[in-house]
Amino acid sequence: MISSPEGKNMQAFHIRYRNTQGTLMRILNAASRRGLDIPYVQAEPIEHTHQVTLLLEVTPKQVGQLCRDWNAVVDVIHVRAATPLREQIWTAAPIPPGLARISDDTQANAAMA
Amino acid sequence: MLKGAEIVLRCLRAEGVDLVFGYPGGAIMPLYDALEGSGVRHILTRHEQGAVFAAEGYARVTGKVGVAIATSGPGATNLVTGIADAKMDSVPLVCITGQVRSALIGTDAFQETDVFGLTLSLTKWSRLVRSIEEISEVIAQGFHWARSGRPGPVLLDFPVDMLKASTEFNRAATFIPHTKPADAQVESSFCETLIALLEQAKRPVALVGAGAKLSGAVVELRQLLDQLNIPTFATVHGLGAVPPTAPYYLGMVGMHGTRAANMAMHETDLLLVFGARLDDRVTGEPTRFAPHARTVHFEIDPAQLDRVRQCELPVIGDLAETIPAFAEEVGRVDLPDWSDWRALACGPERAELDPRGLSQPTIRFLDELFSRLPEDNVILADVGQHQMWAAQRYRSASPRGFITSGGLGAMGFALPAAIGVQLAKPETTVLCVSGDGGIQMNIQELATVKRLGLPIKMVIVDNKYLGMVRQWQQLFYQRNYAETDLSDNPDFVEIAKAYKIHAQRLGEEQMAQYPVAKATGDVIDRFLQSPEPELLVFDCHPEANVYPMVPAGAALSEMVFEEE
Repeated sequence: MISSPEGKNMQAFHIRYRNTQGTLMRILNAASRRGLDIPYVQAEPIEHTHQVTLLLEVTPKQVGQLCRDWNAVVDVIHVRAATPLREQIWTAAPIPPGLARISDDTQANAAMA
Repeated sequence: MLKGAEIVLRCLRAEGVDLVFGYPGGAIMPLYDALEGSGVRHILTRHEQGAVFAAEGYARVTGKVGVAIATSGPGATNLVTGIADAKMDSVPLVCITGQVRSALIGTDAFQETDVFGLTLSLTKWSRLVRSIEEISEVIAQGFHWARSGRPGPVLLDFPVDMLKASTEFNRAATFIPHTKPADAQVESSFCETLIALLEQAKRPVALVGAGAKLSGAVVELRQLLDQLNIPTFATVHGLGAVPPTAPYYLGMVGMHGTRAANMAMHETDLLLVFGARLDDRVTGEPTRFAPHARTVHFEIDPAQLDRVRQCELPVIGDLAETIPAFAEEVGRVDLPDWSDWRALACGPERAELDPRGLSQPTIRFLDELFSRLPEDNVILADVGQHQMWAAQRYRSASPRGFITSGGLGAMGFALPAAIGVQLAKPETTVLCVSGDGGIQMNIQELATVKRLGLPIKMVIVDNKYLGMVRQWQQLFYQRNYAETDLSDNPDFVEIAKAYKIHAQRLGEEQMAQYPVAKATGDVIDRFLQSPEPELLVFDCHPEANVYPMVPAGAALSEMVFEEE
């Protein structure tokens, strides 16, 4: 567990949901409305539903609030808070060591596309 | 074969909708084209915000789902404040918006706005309809979510080509929701724990919010409170749930709550919360809120728990089920004797300092108004000082009798909401109290009132300021009245006359004596008894303040009663 001076911990959240219009955005909104950065997010289909995994630096109080907010979203099925895996924390670092650098030309071409 | 627009209207009828509020425009035109003969009555307001607030008023007074309709782009964005208001105050609302045709979505077409995205954080559920075949199911699902659990707003966005297209249609769909594991978490053994907490408590109190009203559990709540016989107070949305004549009732609690209620809240050692969010206007400084209390929170929406204050015992579920279950247990035990605590909390030494509002003519004016209302009445208050004065003086036991924008605090709410209330309750006397700031935010709805001939009794408390902001500037910003001066207000009586609505003015000097002079009383009586819409402008002292007041950052016990 990584703790910040403000008593915040990096926490992993696994949220199962039906992939209906806007549900993933509502899940992300619960974090963004609190001004939380979302350093790691991965959404994927699992069986007949979907799951999104988020890493958030949160206080213990926020953990409860977020879980309750997510449970209140109509198409959210299940919410689980857990300790983040090492590779998730590594991926969530501000500049992952393995990040592929995109050349300026590529960026410019992408912007013009 | 039916057109999409006709299917929408058929599905609305299937949901029991016979009255909608709206404003037409390009992308929603097919729906308007299909209105005639549909069995759905449409009320044309003069602004989309008027439509959504009117739909809210209708929903708040009836408990049914209110429906507002607007076109794409600016029509849709003008609904947003009302959607936010419905979210905060748990109002069942379905907003129907037109959208540019499907092929143009995402191209920044004329009057295109991503209203689905805009309102994601405000709605309980929403859909951008993608095929005519799903219209029926989407409407059924939208109404289900609007009225189920903690009620709230739903947005349904219809591309214009969906409304124009045709398909086979047999009957409106029904919706059966998935159940969540979380839905089954209603704590069935809470009664035992709660009784134990009660037996240990020396100074228990009850806080009543809107939840019991929304659950239709007011009768059960009143019976329970009679059993408990503990000091009880209400949030602004809880007003009317407890009869003000109940000997244990202390009035409204919070920033402008009564002295008795705020003191009892501060001293309690067991706080029973019935369907209230415990927002900052109720708690004052959260870290100093009810500092000695353990909290038991009856709530239908788990998301409302522990937002401001951690509770020792959450009781999750519909209050219509949890309150009777608790009452049954209470009936089986001998509760402790709390008479000393009740005598202290409800005693005369904590009564209002100025019960007749002798130093505040506006309070006396509202007292006169309220006391002369027929029994069947609904009072709407806009947002600001007049709202708090009205809430402080509200003395009715009608659960849906006091309507205001409490959570969002949206100025301009009351007049259009009164339209919705009056249409829902044609025989009821509807009194709409606004300030001179708020009335000008939706003053165009006077035209709607006049067109429909609604006998709404409109009051403007005119202090020629944005009064509540000015009060804060006076008390906390060294009287720097920055941009709150409205001394160049128009003549509201003349404005009303332009709409062909009878209006008159009453000066605060006419409230100088108690009881008021017969002539003044007659003016008020004629105003209330008129079968026509009426406007009464009350001239309020520019620096009249709302007291008691709990300053920001203070505990509820640290109310101020005058400028220091």
